[in-house]
Amino acid sequence: MSLGAKNELEKKETANKAAVAETCPKMFVYFSELQGRALIDSRGRTVGKIDDLKVKLGELFPKVTSLVVRRRRLKKLSALDWAEVENFNGEVISLKAEAENRFSPLEVGREELLLRADLLDKQVVDTSGAKIERVNDIHLLTANKELRIVHVDFGIRGILRRLGWIKAVDSFINWLFAYQYPEKIVSWKYVQPLASDPKANLKLNVTVRKLHDLHPSDLADILEDLNQANRSSVFKTLDLQTAAETLQEVDPKIQMSLIEATPEELVTDILEEMEPDEAKDFLAELPEERMKKLLRRMEKPYRENVEELLKYEEGTAGSIMTKDFIALDRDTTIAQAIEEFKNVFHPLETVAYLYVTDEKKRLVGVVTVRQLLICNTQEPLKKLMNPYLVKIRTEDPVEQAADLFNKYKLLALPVVDQENVIQGIITLQDIVETRTKEL
Amino acid sequence: MNLKQRWKGFLFFLAIAGPGIITSNVDNDAGGIATYSMAGSFFGNRLLWSLLPIMIALIIIQEMSARMGVVTGKGLSDLIREHFGVKVTVYVLLAVILTNFGNVIAEFAGVASSLEIFSVPKYVSVPLSAFFVWLLVVKGTYRSVEKVFLYACLFYITYIISGILAKPDWAEIGKSLVRPQLDFSPGQLGMIIGLVGTTIAPWMQFYLQASVVEKNIPVKDYKHSRLDVIIGSFVVTVVAGFIVLTCAATLFKAGVRVDTASEAALALKPLAGKYCSALFAFGLLNASLFAASILPLSTSFLVCEGMGWETGVNKKFSEAPQFYGLYSLLIFLGAGIILLPKIPLFSVMYISQIINGIVLPAILIFMLVLVNNKKLMGEHVNKKGYNIISGITIVVLIILTVAYLVTLVA
Repeated sequence: MSLGAKNELEKKETANKAAVAETCPKMFVYFSELQGRALIDSRGRTVGKIDDLKVKLGELFPKVTSLVVRRRRLKKLSALDWAEVENFNGEVISLKAEAENRFSPLEVGREELLLRADLLDKQVVDTSGAKIERVNDIHLLTANKELRIVHVDFGIRGILRRLGWIKAVDSFINWLFAYQYPEKIVSWKYVQPLASDPKANLKLNVTVRKLHDLHPSDLADILEDLNQANRSSVFKTLDLQTAAETLQEVDPKIQMSLIEATPEELVTDILEEMEPDEAKDFLAELPEERMKKLLRRMEKPYRENVEELLKYEEGTAGSIMTKDFIALDRDTTIAQAIEEFKNVFHPLETVAYLYVTDEKKRLVGVVTVRQLLICNTQEPLKKLMNPYLVKIRTEDPVEQAADLFNKYKLLALPVVDQENVIQGIITLQDIVETRTKEL
Repeated sequence: MNLKQRWKGFLFFLAIAGPGIITSNVDNDAGGIATYSMAGSFFGNRLLWSLLPIMIALIIIQEMSARMGVVTGKGLSDLIREHFGVKVTVYVLLAVILTNFGNVIAEFAGVASSLEIFSVPKYVSVPLSAFFVWLLVVKGTYRSVEKVFLYACLFYITYIISGILAKPDWAEIGKSLVRPQLDFSPGQLGMIIGLVGTTIAPWMQFYLQASVVEKNIPVKDYKHSRLDVIIGSFVVTVVAGFIVLTCAATLFKAGVRVDTASEAALALKPLAGKYCSALFAFGLLNASLFAASILPLSTSFLVCEGMGWETGVNKKFSEAPQFYGLYSLLIFLGAGIILLPKIPLFSVMYISQIINGIVLPAILIFMLVLVNNKKLMGEHVNKKGYNIISGITIVVLIILTVAYLVTLVA
C-alpha cells in the first residue's frame, strides 16, 4: 500500500468516527451539573427547572426514566417521561413538540429511585470496600439518547464541585503543591443504596442483594455503622443463613436492637440456622422470659441442642462446645462414613475429625478426614481409628481445654460426659473466640 | 445515713444519669461559670428573671433534640445534610466549628485561670491539660473518666449553700423574677445573649442528639429520655440561678466586678471562708476539663458525620484522618491561643458565650424545619406549643442580637 493511500484511509476513518460521535454523543455528566438546569420546549421556551431524576433499578447501570421538574416556584413537582426529551447535548435539554402538555404527577414505584431525594447526600454501602459512604455526587453517562448512572462520587472533589469551589481550590492546591486532589468515584455495581425512609418503604428490598456478596464479618461491621432504622431494614432482607452468620458477628448491644426490631418467627428461624453454641450464647444474654418464649418457638431438634448447652455452667468446657460433629459406630465402613459426610445438610464448624463410638455411644477413637480419603473403603472404622485420643469432660474448665489445644496442636477437641459418651466438640475457633472475649 | 447507703445513692444517680443530665452538666462549663459570675457581679439580681424563660426554652429545645434522635436514629448534622444538601451543610458546619472552637478556647482559659489560683503558670497547665484531654480520647479511656467528672459536678452544690449562707435579699430576688427589667444598654444586651448562649449552646443540641442515638433508645421508651432532659435542664438552670444570686449577694454588694478567677472565687467565701479560692479553682478546673474532653470530640463527630467521613476513636489515624485531624487541631490550636501572653481569660470565656447566643437561632431554625417534617418524624412532629415557644426564642434572639450589634456600633 502506498503512503498516499494509507493517509487517505486514515482520513476516512477519522471522518467516520466524527460522524458516529455526532449522531450519538457519548459523554459523562454529573448530576449536580444537571440540577437546576432549564428545560426548553420545542419552541425554545423554558418550561421549568430540573429538580430530580427518576431511575429504574434492576439493570447493572440503571436508566433514567423520568425528569422531575419544578415548573414554577413554590409549585409541586411534576414528572415528565425521558422519552419526551428531543435532544440532550450535555448542556441543554430540549423537549419534543407538545411535551409540555404531557407532565404527570410524580409517583415513585417499587424498584424506582429518585437521585436527589433518595441517593444524593444519603448514606450507601460501598461493597467494594465494605464501607458506608455518603454520596457527594452521581456520575451519569449519556449514550444513544439514554442517561444512565455509572459511578457514584464519594470524594472531596464531589463536595467542592457542588459548592462551586472546585476551580478555586484546584488552582490553589496546584499553585501551592503542584498536585491535584484525586477523584474518589466508585462504579455503580458496587453501590448499594439504602432506604431513605426505612420504616415507610421497602422498595429497595429486592436490590439489597448486592450486600449478599459481602462476607458476614464485613456485613456485621456495616450494620454496626448504620443507624438503627436502616440497620433493621437491611437485616430483615438478608437470607436466613447470612442473617445467622452476621448476627453472630455483631456487637451484643446491636444484636439486641436487631432482635427487638425483627418479628419473632424470623428470629427463631435465624436461631435455628445459627451454630448451636452461638445460638446459646445469644439466648443466654436475653431476659429469662424472652429466652423461654423464643426457645418454645424453635423446632424440636434445634431446641434440644440449645437447651442442653444452656445447662452447662459458664466457664466450663460444656458451655462453649458445639453440637456440630459427626460420631459413628465403630463397625461403620469407610464408604458409609463418607456417605454420612455427604448427608450432613448444614455446614459443619469443622470437618477435621470423625469420632468413633461403641454400641453404648461411648467415645473409643478418632479418624481424620485424610485417613478416610486414602484408605480402603470397605474397612470398618475400628480398623484405622486412633484409640488414643485427647478429650475433655463437660464440667472441666475452659482453660484446661485451651491448654490441651496448645499442647496437642488440635483442630477440635471432643467433650464427653461422665460415662464417656460424646456430648459435643470444642473447635479451635471456639477457643480463640472465648480468649478474645476475655481480652 | 451510713457510708454504704450513701455510696448506693451515688450509684443510683449514675444509673439514671442519661444523656440529658450529662449534657446539662457539661453545659455548666468554664464559659458558663464565667458568664453567670459576671452577670451576678455586674448587674446584681437584675437579670436573674431571664433564667426562667431560658429554662423553658432549654427544656423545649433539648426535648426536640432528644426526640429527633430517638425517632430518626440519626444525628443532627446527618439530618441537615440529608435534607438541605451539601452546600447548606458545609456553611452550617463551618459556623459550628468556629463557635465550638470559641468554646474550646474558653475551656482552656478556664483551666489556665483556675490553676493560676494555685500559682501554676498557664504555660505549664494548659499544654499539660491539652495533652491529657487529647490522650483521654485517643487512648479510649474517656468513658471511665466521665464518671469522675460527673461526680465532681456535685461541686455546684457549694454555690447553693454559699448562696443561702450569704443571706441574700430574697424579697428583692422574688421581685426581680416577677418584674423583668432590661435597660437595652450594650452591656445588658450582651449579657442576656451570653446567658442564653451559654445555657442553650448550639453544640449541646448536636451532642445531646448524638448521645441519644448512640444509646439506641426505642421510641416506646422515649418518655424516660424526656424526663432525663427535663431534670437536666431544670438542674442546670437552678445552678445557674444560684451562681448569679450568690455573686450578686457577695461580689455585687462588695462592688467587685469579676475579671479574674480569684475574684469570682470570693463568691464562695460565705461557705468556705479562706478556702474559697481552692474550692472554686477545683470546680472551674473540673468543669473546664469535662467540657474540653467532650467539645472537640463532639465537634469532630458531627462534622465527619455530616461530610460522610470516617469517624470513631477505634479507627487508626490513616483510616479517619479528617476526624483525628480536626480533633487534634481544635485541642492544640485552642490551647495554643490561650498561651498568647496577656490574653484576658475571663473576657475570652464570656465572649465565646455571646457567639453561642448569636449562632443559636440559625441552628434552631434548622431544627424546627426538621422536627416538623412529617416524612421524617411521623406522628412525633412538633406540637403547636413547641413551635410557638421555639419560634419566640428564635425571634427574640435575633432581635437581641441586632439590638446588641446596633448599640455596640452606635
